[in-house]
Amino acid sequence: MDLLQGTLDMMVLRTLLMGPLHGYGIAKAIRASSGESLEIEFGSLYPALKRLELQGWIASKWDTSETNRQAKYYRLTAAGRKRLASEHSKWAEFVNAVTRVMGPAPGGEV
Amino acid sequence: MTWRDRERDMQEELKALEEIAGHKALGNLTLAAEDARAVWRWGWLDGLLADLRYALRVLRRQPGFAAVAVVSLGLGIGANAAIFSLMDTLLWRQLPVKAPERLVTMDCCASYYSWRQFQARSKDVLEDVLATAGTEPRDLDTGGGPEAGRMELVSGNFFSVLGVSPALGRVLAPDDRDAAVLSYAYWQRAYGGNPTAIGRTIRVGKVPFTISGVAPREFFGVLVGDAADVWVPLAAQPALYPGQAWLDKPNTNFLELLARLRVGVTVERASDALTPLSHAIDLERAGPALPDWVRKEIDHERLKLVPAGKGLSYLRRRFSKPLRVLLAMVAIGLLLACINVMSLQFARADQRRRELTVRLAIGAGRWRLIRQLMTEALFLAVGGGLLGLGLSRPAAAALVSLIWSMGKTPQLPLHIDGTVLLFVTALSVAAALVCGLIPALRASRAELASGLQQGSRSATAGPASRWWSRAAASVQLSLSLVLIAGSFLFAFNLYRLTHIDTGLNRSGLVMLDVDTRGAGYRGAENIEFNRRLLARLAAMPGVGRVSFSENGVFSGRNSNDQMGADGFQAPDGKERNAYYDLVGPHYFSTIGARLASGRDFDEKDNAAAPKVAIVNREFARHFFPGRDPLGQNIYHQRDRKPWQVIGVVEEIRSDVRQKPQRYFYVPQWQTQQDPWTTRFLLRVGNARSGTLASLRAAVRAEDKSTRVISVDTADTLLNNTLDLDRLIAALSFGFGLLALTLAAVGAYGLAAYNVTRRTGEIGIRMALGATRPRVMRLVIREAWLAAAPGIVAGTVAAVALGRLVAGLVFEMKPADPLVLGSAALVLAAVALGASWIPARRAARLDPMVALRNE
Repeated sequence: MDLLQGTLDMMVLRTLLMGPLHGYGIAKAIRASSGESLEIEFGSLYPALKRLELQGWIASKWDTSETNRQAKYYRLTAAGRKRLASEHSKWAEFVNAVTRVMGPAPGGEV
Repeated sequence: MTWRDRERDMQEELKALEEIAGHKALGNLTLAAEDARAVWRWGWLDGLLADLRYALRVLRRQPGFAAVAVVSLGLGIGANAAIFSLMDTLLWRQLPVKAPERLVTMDCCASYYSWRQFQARSKDVLEDVLATAGTEPRDLDTGGGPEAGRMELVSGNFFSVLGVSPALGRVLAPDDRDAAVLSYAYWQRAYGGNPTAIGRTIRVGKVPFTISGVAPREFFGVLVGDAADVWVPLAAQPALYPGQAWLDKPNTNFLELLARLRVGVTVERASDALTPLSHAIDLERAGPALPDWVRKEIDHERLKLVPAGKGLSYLRRRFSKPLRVLLAMVAIGLLLACINVMSLQFARADQRRRELTVRLAIGAGRWRLIRQLMTEALFLAVGGGLLGLGLSRPAAAALVSLIWSMGKTPQLPLHIDGTVLLFVTALSVAAALVCGLIPALRASRAELASGLQQGSRSATAGPASRWWSRAAASVQLSLSLVLIAGSFLFAFNLYRLTHIDTGLNRSGLVMLDVDTRGAGYRGAENIEFNRRLLARLAAMPGVGRVSFSENGVFSGRNSNDQMGADGFQAPDGKERNAYYDLVGPHYFSTIGARLASGRDFDEKDNAAAPKVAIVNREFARHFFPGRDPLGQNIYHQRDRKPWQVIGVVEEIRSDVRQKPQRYFYVPQWQTQQDPWTTRFLLRVGNARSGTLASLRAAVRAEDKSTRVISVDTADTLLNNTLDLDRLIAALSFGFGLLALTLAAVGAYGLAAYNVTRRTGEIGIRMALGATRPRVMRLVIREAWLAAAPGIVAGTVAAVALGRLVAGLVFEMKPADPLVLGSAALVLAAVALGASWIPARRAARLDPMVALRNE
């Protein structure tokens, strides 16, 4: 499934709402919460993390993982929460609008 | 955090994640890191640095491409910068003096008397007037023996009028008689920049001067291309030219005047205000015995002041046109180089399609990609710019020495200044735009799906990309055609100039220029000396006929006067103007000129005999229209004494670039004029250097104190008058050859690219029964589709640019159909020939192999 521009950022922010995660953890979490239908390539995710960090919406810190390894963990900042809220409502509007345009699936059901 | 810290941190993070998740789960980490870097270096400069590093890496992986691009751009930029800096120095740069915009020069030539009068009587519009006699070679001796140098005789107010303060000591003052100011360069050369040079003695020729000061480093005088080593006051003229008291002669015009306008006075106003003064001075110095028509002529002349902020230069007028043409040529050359690099970029973009598509797919913006590609182009262009900058100085110097391969080398202050740097920078940026932008725009528009699916081998460029490469090849061919047509034009021009009938026989003709006047021979003594020297030269072994004239042949020197003739009606002025020469007995038979009627001068036409003249056909046509001039009289308007025409000679083309002029010849022995110098013309069996040296020796044997100015064969003299034409022909030949090479490479590249692209198609066609000639035609037809519009456009451009060379070609029109036709033909042949090789390769394809490639 193709991702719309900016959707990835939004999903990362949403995922981090649950608590800090490292880069790979974020990818896994998005996949799990999409019911395995969204395969996020790490190659796209990682630059997105850096972008969000630069904007100040997430922050990072080295920490020990559940398997006792060092990894860099990302968490949502206050600005990131605000951003997520506004993205969330915009997204809802967008989905509604598209749904209205598309209507019920054509063909098949008479 | 510095980028180094961030980089390390990122590498550690990725490594940690790799340990947690495994390599497979994360995919291409290098790419991820690269894109992450792009994110944090969002700052413009950071991004640029990353781009630069990346560009450098990409280019380092393709050293061949990078080298070709940098060198071709470097040569192009270097050539442009060289011509530009020459033009800047010669044509545009202001003198390094105070308020150069207020300097004006009088039309030409003034005597010492007129300078003093101008200076004293023009205070209402001019601050002051300075005078210079120009530079002249003289031996300079600072105590270590004489060495060749250049002196300039200037008025004592020279430096103060220009507002130039000395680097050391003091400048000349109006009452100086034996002071000298050294140029900075000469001070460095002769005294190693030692300040104790002030007060020491320097001998100019044999005359001692006391060094009073040193001019500032950047100051070279007012003569561009003619820098002096030492400036000495006009008061020293009699000492420097023994026996010639020019200062006392109101009609010896040996000075150039430069004046400084008062603040707020325009050139126009000053010209108006000074015209009456100029008339008055001319009448005063001419004396009361002035014929009315001369008086009238003086009254009609308006003094023409010309802005002189850029200094005076005899080179400027001569070289401004050739330099403009050269600049146009090198500009086209640079454009060609850019297009070549552009074509290479197209080819590379095809190779890099996969990389670029991947980068687009993982979310790199198109702008980001364009920026990256443009950075690569800029890298190449800056590399080319630096190379060009390095080349420009030696190239300009080489050009200067090429131009003045004979005679003195001009002392041009060629240096790389801000203007040239700015020019090179602008050129580099423009080159980057030309050779980078279109390929970058094209490449970044790659369609994701097709780019990713297809392997690099079979990736076919879209029709748009094909269109672009074809357009690039067309433009390249059209620009090449302009250069080739230029080189053909100048080559034809030179050929015609050297093969023109000059009206005399040059084989074995030698001219020996003797300064009889300088040796003090005047009047009857001069005639007697000539007679003796003639006899001595004629008696030498291997010497045939000998004669002499004042101006000689192909010398650039001429005399003219207002003439009248029996039955000729015209007002004084241009219609009465005619050139003349004072000649010796048997002059025309000696130089091999053809008499149309009448006879040549001989020994009997001496001072006691009736005065006789020989006119050329052009003179006869003009002054005796429809009549036989033989037996008629011609007159100088100033004295109206008759000279009987005894012969008509075919035109002698002393300057082959000019149309034949009206000429008449009179025996020097019958005039009361002393020749400026006497130019002996000899027919020798063998004009080797030994023979020429023996001629010099003969003059010395006749009189040791008589100076031989030069000995040259007529061929050499004619060639010397064509030095500029030869230079332009040689340079444009070089550019034409370069253009032809580039055109061939371009045509070959395009055809080879097409064959590679269409390998599969060709395979299918052959499998379906297409014959080899048919396949070849296919490829060649495609080459022709690029070549034909290019050649048409190039022909149009060449005709349009023809205006630029008007005045540089003679005996032919700039848009000569023969020139354009042959240039187009040669180019078409080369372009098609170059595509022949890939076409043959296509025809030899094994259909099975070609199809399997798909």
